[in-house]
Amino acid sequence: MGKASVIPFGPQHPVLPEPLHLDLVVQDETVVDVLPQIGFVHRGLEKLVETRDYNQFIYVAERICGICAMGHSLGYAETVESLMGVEVPSRAEYLRVIWHELSRIHSHLLWLGLAADAFGFESMFMHCWRLRERILDIFEKTTGGRVILSVVRVGGVNRDIEDSELKVICGVLDGIKAEYGEIMSTLLTDMSVKNRTVGVGALTTEQAIDLSMVGPFARASAVSYDVRSFGRGAYGHLADFQPITDAGGDCYARVKVRCLEVLQSIEIIQELAGKIPAGDIAVKVKGNPDPGARAANVLEQPRGECYYFAQGNGTKHLERMRMRTPTSQNLAGMLEALKGCDLADVNMIILTIDPCISCTER
Amino acid sequence: MGFSTDFKSLDAASVHADAVRRKAEGWRFVQILAVNNEDSADVIYSYMKDGLLDNAVVERLPRGAHLESITDAYLEAFVFENEMHDLFGITFDGLAIDFLGNFYRVSTEVPMTIISPEKLAEQEKQRKLAEKKAKAAAAKAAKASEAAGKAPAEGAPTGASAPSIDAEMEAKLAAMPPEKAARVRAAMEAKAKKATADGEVG
Amino acid sequence: MGSFRLGAMTLRSLFKKPETLLYPTQTKAPYAGQKGHVVNEVSGCILCGMCQRVCPCHCITVDKAARTWGIQPFMCIQCGSCVASCPTSCLSMDPAPTAIATEKHAIELAVPEQEKQVSSSI
Repeated sequence: MGKASVIPFGPQHPVLPEPLHLDLVVQDETVVDVLPQIGFVHRGLEKLVETRDYNQFIYVAERICGICAMGHSLGYAETVESLMGVEVPSRAEYLRVIWHELSRIHSHLLWLGLAADAFGFESMFMHCWRLRERILDIFEKTTGGRVILSVVRVGGVNRDIEDSELKVICGVLDGIKAEYGEIMSTLLTDMSVKNRTVGVGALTTEQAIDLSMVGPFARASAVSYDVRSFGRGAYGHLADFQPITDAGGDCYARVKVRCLEVLQSIEIIQELAGKIPAGDIAVKVKGNPDPGARAANVLEQPRGECYYFAQGNGTKHLERMRMRTPTSQNLAGMLEALKGCDLADVNMIILTIDPCISCTER
Repeated sequence: MGFSTDFKSLDAASVHADAVRRKAEGWRFVQILAVNNEDSADVIYSYMKDGLLDNAVVERLPRGAHLESITDAYLEAFVFENEMHDLFGITFDGLAIDFLGNFYRVSTEVPMTIISPEKLAEQEKQRKLAEKKAKAAAAKAAKASEAAGKAPAEGAPTGASAPSIDAEMEAKLAAMPPEKAARVRAAMEAKAKKATADGEVG
Repeated sequence: MGSFRLGAMTLRSLFKKPETLLYPTQTKAPYAGQKGHVVNEVSGCILCGMCQRVCPCHCITVDKAARTWGIQPFMCIQCGSCVASCPTSCLSMDPAPTAIATEKHAIELAVPEQEKQVSSSI
């Protein structure tokens, strides 16, 4: 074995648009230890809750991260609703889930494109982003925004989707499904993709449970945990929901789990679009949260379970708002996956974990 | 599998023992957070098992308190413990990966413990509102007792209610920005003058 | 094998109409409900200040004394709170995006008197 040396990775690295710094301790070509560093984009958004009232803060929550915008506004609204005991109309719950699942498709397609680009598979990148554009177009049509949707509010949603429009969306999703099927089977059977991913950065189920990993990262190690399976909101009206898991635990399993989740999300949207009840889309929320009242909540975001906490103080401002995002939970798992890998595989492992640094630091 | 949340209190000394026990029982670590109070902080440890999100609250930790790190049981907690050290000034003994205060690049020390001017203003407003309410209630009580004690004389009700209005108005004025308060005062004086003038005419 | 399938897909797109637009010669018409910029129809404005209160980014200023309504379009996040809260529906969301500018500017509109018209009609 050669002498150990430290190689810095990031904060600017072609594989990730976000600032993540790793100090990789390498011996020959093998990574023996990793030290992560974040904190380059800490903005103190949790502190902002003191200057924005609980209705206004939803727009701050949305801006924590561009990809998870819908998830953060939904999680925040659900938490404040449980803090104040607000009952949301059924139609609003369905609409929220439809938008949330659409944003999961958009997030996974974006990630798939970036991952393909990192393999050096550029035509795949183009095709993934071409399909993603159709999802963004649905957002633009139904909410008025492409990424920041501003459609959820405390007590319901701001906009309704007409039933005829829902049919159009299902049609668009059918089109995406056909083309996406081709892309997915290419990606999962391609030799060059398999060479880069199979057996790389593998974690066992025991390790995944030991490190409390969440999201597709954990599900790729056969941990059957998905917040959606609690059946809250409109998820409870699904005929059947089974988390997608894979026993591989390596980069290939993580690619596979995310690929299959896109199809699952399309199915969820199409099922809910057929079942959506008529009725109001929002209730009026009156009063302020009680002083000292606390509420905790979890939500399945594209990257995994996100924890929300809110505490009231009797005024229109919240005392404390907290988001614990999936990536901060998965950092320890990432360190574990990187130990013992080849230096050339570091970017592949980091990418398949799909870290969201701006979420982690808020 | 249903989902439920629970909040229970936890002793600061038994944080580590609790984590070790939960690890053995198969709880999944969810997060740690701190809530800033006026001169202390509450720390909340969350764990999950079978759909139960259990939040253990360590209440009223004084500023700069020490806690035992739980990173030997749950390594993934290092993110939150470093974060709380940087943002709240709570130190952890035995941290597995200790950034020594360099986890976040912050421009001020322990930013989350600073009470912002907006919050101070809000608190002041709340206090004034409570005072006003108390005063109004007292005035009402005084009025009631006076009305009960005295025979319904002509001048009595106005005499009793006038100070209560003044007290209420003073509380309101104190909560207003100075230039607006001055305007309201001027208007009130004009009104009072007009009232006396009307009285003279009548 | 997989690459051939993707190759076929890529080849097919040679004969299809392009998915992208040749901007700036072609532009996309905005959807009806799209969030572009906030417009105030001042003839209906009663200067109640509701929009100023609900705005999460404090970009609207309502001055009752001077009878002006102002917005800083480069601070506005197009959330639509003001439009939803407006009691007279004089605020609306125009789907066209804000025009590109070389420097940030503020918009200030003079609001004409309303009360007299109302009282004279009664």
